[in-house]
Amino acid sequence: MNLDQMTIAPVFSLWLILLLFSLGVVSVVIQYRLMLGRLGHSRALWLCLLRLGAIFFLIAFALNPSLVTKKEHKVSPAIAILLDTSQSMGQPGGPGKVSRLEEAKALLTEGRNPLLKSLNERFEVRLYGVGESLRTIEVKELGDLKAHGKNGNLSEILKELRANYTLALLLSDGNLKWNEGQPPNLPIITLPVGNPGEYKDILIKAVKAPSLAFRGREVMIDATIKSYGYTGLTLPVLLKEGNKLITAKNTHINASPSEVTVSLSFTPDEVGQKNLSISIPQQVGESLVSNNSVNLSVKVVRDKIRILMVSGNPSMNYRFMRTVLKNDPSIDLLSFVILRTPSDILNVPTHEQSLIPFPVETLFSKEIKNFDLLIFDNFKYPLYLSPHHLESIREFVRGGGGFAMIGGPNLVNEGGYAVSPIGEILPIRFVEKEDYQRDSKAGVRLSRAGVLHPITRLSSDLTGDVTGDDADRLNFWREMPPLDGFNLLEAKSSATVLLESGDGIPWPILTVSSYGNGRALVLATDYSWKWDMGMVAKGKGNHAYLRLVDRMVRWLTKDASMDSVQIALPESTGSVGQEIEVRIKLREEDLSPNLRSVVSFSVFNPDGLRVESKLKPTGQPGEYLGSFLPQKGGIYKLKVETSAGNLEESMVVTGLLESLDASPNHEQLKKVSTSTGGKFLSTSDDLLREIENYSRKGESRFIEEKQSSVWASPFVMIFVLGFFILEWYFRRRWGLV
Amino acid sequence: MRTPSLNRYSRRNFLSLGLGLAAGFCFLSPKSLLSASFPHFFFAQLKYRGGEWDPNPQFAEAIIEELELRTSIDGVKERRVTTLSDPDLFFYPFLYMAGKYEFDPFTPQEGETLKRLLSYGGFLFAEDTAGAKGFGFDQTFRREMKKLFPDHELRRLPLDHSVYQSFYLIESIGGRQKVNPYLEGITIDNWTPVIYSQNDLSGAWSRDKFGKWINECLPGGEVQRSAAFKLGINIIVYSLTSDYKKDVIHHPFIKRRQTL
Repeated sequence: MNLDQMTIAPVFSLWLILLLFSLGVVSVVIQYRLMLGRLGHSRALWLCLLRLGAIFFLIAFALNPSLVTKKEHKVSPAIAILLDTSQSMGQPGGPGKVSRLEEAKALLTEGRNPLLKSLNERFEVRLYGVGESLRTIEVKELGDLKAHGKNGNLSEILKELRANYTLALLLSDGNLKWNEGQPPNLPIITLPVGNPGEYKDILIKAVKAPSLAFRGREVMIDATIKSYGYTGLTLPVLLKEGNKLITAKNTHINASPSEVTVSLSFTPDEVGQKNLSISIPQQVGESLVSNNSVNLSVKVVRDKIRILMVSGNPSMNYRFMRTVLKNDPSIDLLSFVILRTPSDILNVPTHEQSLIPFPVETLFSKEIKNFDLLIFDNFKYPLYLSPHHLESIREFVRGGGGFAMIGGPNLVNEGGYAVSPIGEILPIRFVEKEDYQRDSKAGVRLSRAGVLHPITRLSSDLTGDVTGDDADRLNFWREMPPLDGFNLLEAKSSATVLLESGDGIPWPILTVSSYGNGRALVLATDYSWKWDMGMVAKGKGNHAYLRLVDRMVRWLTKDASMDSVQIALPESTGSVGQEIEVRIKLREEDLSPNLRSVVSFSVFNPDGLRVESKLKPTGQPGEYLGSFLPQKGGIYKLKVETSAGNLEESMVVTGLLESLDASPNHEQLKKVSTSTGGKFLSTSDDLLREIENYSRKGESRFIEEKQSSVWASPFVMIFVLGFFILEWYFRRRWGLV
Repeated sequence: MRTPSLNRYSRRNFLSLGLGLAAGFCFLSPKSLLSASFPHFFFAQLKYRGGEWDPNPQFAEAIIEELELRTSIDGVKERRVTTLSDPDLFFYPFLYMAGKYEFDPFTPQEGETLKRLLSYGGFLFAEDTAGAKGFGFDQTFRREMKKLFPDHELRRLPLDHSVYQSFYLIESIGGRQKVNPYLEGITIDNWTPVIYSQNDLSGAWSRDKFGKWINECLPGGEVQRSAAFKLGINIIVYSLTSDYKKDVIHHPFIKRRQTL
């Protein structure tokens, strides 16, 4: 509808215009009176009217009249078409469609009148892909579009669009994040794909498991199992370590969909990283198999280091070592001291003495596996142990246990060790028959290997060095008080001598080696306690001795605190496609100048293939940040190598389809459309008509206003001139001119 | 309670001495002399200024003999005499101090040395041999200990203390005189580095060269002497094993035997 209006914009004040007009009228009246006598009433009146008309229009122009033209226009709504491209859209779609994404594409582009084309003709349309983020899609890209990535957050996405669109059309299976509490001011028409009724799947939705467990203590793992379409079925839930089944439990499915939590428990008997999986066998007709298993990694540590110590007799060595071990809350010590040998004579009845039987059979046949470390302190075994006990000890070490033999006079004539299975474990050989040297007053010195070995590489706060130089560490050991006796031993070629006698022949004093999965140590003296009291006598405190015993125990038991490197994994498991960062820390002792800067970081994927990784210093001494980008789910091995030692850790990276609940969630789409004031459509609806009907509600209009000045029209000027011309004509005709 | 046959020791030592004399000391090994190494238990007797530091000079032989006969510990019968300025002081497993009379106070340096020794693992067995309470040595020793350990008093050791269970299950406290039916000690955490007796244990252990007891034990006689030997062995074993008998594994055995 056109609305034309005349408006004025006077160039002078209105009173001036009225005054001019009044003067004009007065002049015309005077003219009439002058011409009345010569021309008569009618002719004079005619001429005066022509003059009056000309004056009227001239003065009227001073009012600056304008003509305003208004025109109403309709605006077509802008529609955003949102196509869900997240991973669940890759699942089988409606009839005949390999995926839900293909089903959605077909809805847009196929048919006699493709929806997308029809909408483009009627509306302003823009196509978007909705995944973890929002991205625009050109129509020509539709063919190559694949479903991948995590579910997008629709609430966040719509915040970006609401300013530019009046309507959004969402094609999705409903697996989107949606915050009902804050609907955006943008109506959404939802168009579902996928068929919830036909979807059949069993998935491990969530797993609750500790990342750290203690050896010998039960570990509980809760797995939440969700199922679609398998009512009445009984499913086994399996907990495995590699291919080895640890435990299994059955669960019965009562409804569809249903969710049930299954608790699986096991008791780890070994320390270390356990790479576990929880799985459910594939069922007939299952849509998605990759979500039937979940990987998890549990680090098993010991709650306490359990030590069995047998001492050949009461001694200073026993007491000092016992004091150190007993004062360490992380150590559980069970010790036996041979207070009386078979040749000693008892002079009182049993109830007057406190001696207890030495439970040899129980300890060395049954209970030995429950210890981490076995210490024989100046102990002559043949009086107490049988060959099968020695076999048991050998198997204990071979299986990963620690064994320490502390020397002394009871080991004279080999202590019976050389020809026993224990001789095989030990890192030394007995070389002489009279193999205990008394009153030697031998000092000790650090061997070349001892400079670097974690047992004897004491930190600078103990050695007092300021340079971190190896010479300081060597001097520190030279200051130790001399030993009053030691066993004359010879190190095996496979052994590492850490301390040796400082005078004359360098007899090995502290020797270590590995045996099977375990470790062995020989301290060839019963005078190590002098390293405690000797330093106390010098006023330097006994920290070095305490640390030495602590280090021996922890090295023998492969305690994590002895690792020269520590890796701090992120608290949550990593995901495919997301960069994972780990913090790497070197131990203080390993930061000596000659060890610094030799750090490498390698990452291996679940197939054992190396993946690209980065390592950069954090700025803190000995701290690095390692990072990598996992491309597939599973258990990754992280390996840090330094010149002081290596460390391997495992971490779980969640696969894209792991724990994926891909069931079409059309209820979610209904919620979205309802809360935004939109509409939930189905594929059976006349989609174009429905969208058109709905879009009318959002149709907007505006009025175009056009203003043109009357002055600007030449016809008006001609019209005004016409008055003057006519007057001139009649004046001439009637003889006034 | 059965008593050990102490007469046998005398006979054996007498024969040993006789044979030794006959063989020109050929039975005495060089390793049994003072130069012997530390695995052999020995007494390091503290010589102090003033008073009488060596009231029972022949105390060591019989108790060491008994120690070797009953336990797996090797001992050296010769004692070492030491002072608080001895550079080897910190390497002596068992510091022994005895006396009857008041002695000179430790110098600050000596006090500091003794305190450091006892705080870091050393062991001191002290005894008042006067045979009565409150005499000179007793007063002086208590005063010196108070100076060294102002926060740890010399207290009576409870009956379940490891020293009463370290080898024998001690029921009565022996000695030359029965002044106190208990031992006293200074306990720091779970370790008692100072044990103090007023019953003159060393007096009960003392024997002359001919194997004859030097002192009579009163009022209990040989039973009291036997108890002194048992207590002596327990103190030595305690000095080398600490609170070993407090380990849980010993509890049921000790409890059962104590109820027999």
